[in-house]
Amino acid sequence: MELIKIYLTLFATSIKERMEYKASFLFYVFAIMTFYIGQIGLLFVLLNRFHQIKGWTMGDMVFLYSLHAFAYGFTNLIFSQLINFDKMVVDGEFDRVLVRPLSPLGQIIFSKFEVSTVAHLVIGFTALYFGTHLAGIEWTFKKVLLFPVIVGGGVLIAGGIRLMVTAVAFWTLRNRSLVHTVIFSSKEFINYPINIYNMGMQYFLTFIFPIAFINFYPAHYFLDRSGEGLLYPALEMGTPIVGIIVFTVSAFTWKVGVNHYQSTGS
Amino acid sequence: MQQDNIAIEVKRLRKEFKLSSSGKGFLGKLKALFHRKHKIITAVNDIDFKIRRGEFVGYVGENGAGKSTTIKMLTGILVPTSGTANVNGIVPFKDRKKNAAKIGVVFGQRTQLWWDLPVRESFDLLRVIFRVSRLDFDRQMTKLDEALGLRPLLEMPVRKLSLGQRMRCDIAASLIHNPPVLFLDEPTIGLDVLAKQSVRNFLSEINRTEGTTIILTTHDMNDIEQLCKRLIIIEEGKIIFDGETGFLKQKFVHEKVIEVEFYEDDCVMQGIPGVTVVREQGCKKWLTVDNDSSGIGEVIGAIAFRYKIKDISVKEPSVESIIRNIYDNRVKLPLPSGKTIT
Repeated sequence: MELIKIYLTLFATSIKERMEYKASFLFYVFAIMTFYIGQIGLLFVLLNRFHQIKGWTMGDMVFLYSLHAFAYGFTNLIFSQLINFDKMVVDGEFDRVLVRPLSPLGQIIFSKFEVSTVAHLVIGFTALYFGTHLAGIEWTFKKVLLFPVIVGGGVLIAGGIRLMVTAVAFWTLRNRSLVHTVIFSSKEFINYPINIYNMGMQYFLTFIFPIAFINFYPAHYFLDRSGEGLLYPALEMGTPIVGIIVFTVSAFTWKVGVNHYQSTGS
Repeated sequence: MQQDNIAIEVKRLRKEFKLSSSGKGFLGKLKALFHRKHKIITAVNDIDFKIRRGEFVGYVGENGAGKSTTIKMLTGILVPTSGTANVNGIVPFKDRKKNAAKIGVVFGQRTQLWWDLPVRESFDLLRVIFRVSRLDFDRQMTKLDEALGLRPLLEMPVRKLSLGQRMRCDIAASLIHNPPVLFLDEPTIGLDVLAKQSVRNFLSEINRTEGTTIILTTHDMNDIEQLCKRLIIIEEGKIIFDGETGFLKQKFVHEKVIEVEFYEDDCVMQGIPGVTVVREQGCKKWLTVDNDSSGIGEVIGAIAFRYKIKDISVKEPSVESIIRNIYDNRVKLPLPSGKTIT
């Protein structure tokens, strides 16, 4: 209980810090919103162009996108500060995190307020609404209950991957290009059903870099699809388990990394 | 138990850093990518020491000697390559959070405060992070305010504070949880004389009244002279002196150093009696005057009479030069004990 209070205070402080520069804050919110309105527009343009891909209709794809948007939005909310983490290592700013009686990762997570999350969630809901209508999803009680579980598993996968590539900075110092490649470029892959790729790629996105579990596999369940994807239907509900595995491995890597931290001279 | 008495114990503590040398030029760098050559640097080389509760210890050495690396291992920032350390009965790099709750840390070069927020917000946040009750916090703040004059600074954002003001706030921040052990890494760096003095007064006071154990690294001889009864000198990762500051002061601080720069054609200086060359660098020489012979004035007179001098000045030796003296002496001319370093 006390720990929750401490983290909430830390979080509140980060918002206050952000508000110190009000004009910049407002401008940022505005820029983010504009960007995402553009994104939604783009999505519809794309979908109108391909009416169907490999048996996935426009509605199916919109739903696929919504799962991704939710997972990505929450991941951004929680782990956004990790994007700039290599700077903390290079400058030795991580020192100060280590001399406080709180988990280093907890301190970093709660030290930034990421406004763009709101936009991701707006998109998520928009896509969910249209996806439901276009694909005619029937929201049974079980589906409603499982939806947040799947999103949570997706957050563990996306967040775990982020944490893992971030931890690489403990060894290599600068790793921004790696972080950007893995986090931002890779997410384009799962904007489409992964069975449009060749087998090698499908295996890669399932077993090695398992982001297909964020939306592709669980979408089968919600869309009542059958018979596609690797090992159907064994992987359909795999998201939470894969999430826990990915995150555990990442947390361990992070821990080893912290002990490997070299600080800076003087 | 006897252990209760000991605040910090360090046993054969060692830290090595692996430096990967990148090659020269584009091809060399490309080669280095695939074929890395590592060089091991030993920053701290199997050191041992014990610090009792309530001691005020100066930990000095030249840049790169291993001071900060030692402090970082004792504060849990770095994990040592081998050896152990114990701070308040806790192994810092194994139990970081527990250790952090019982130590205060100030890095002169880097603030612990939230840059964009008023000082008060940082203090409040640290109060929550260190789980200090409102009552204890208010009591401690009253004390800190009295000694450091914090009140006028509380509503100012940290980024607008002067270096001296910021240091006062940083020191206060490190003491919010009233830790039994305080680590200070160059707390007076960049401060003006007045600010330095107020920081020193305060440190001396908490050491006396609270019994806080303090370990201070510094390049300022006055910090050491005024505050630290005990001095540990580290050089190239090894402790080369551990003893009373008074002893060193007696030997070196009152020994003046003459810094002379000669013209190039007159660089070799010979035959001035009662003078020892401590160090030379091109045509610049540092001399000490032997106690029992002629005074400083006479020596300067004799030099000026025989040689063409570009520049001359008389200096108090810095910690740096004292350390160098001790070190050089140890390596080059081991004198029988009792004799002073020349």
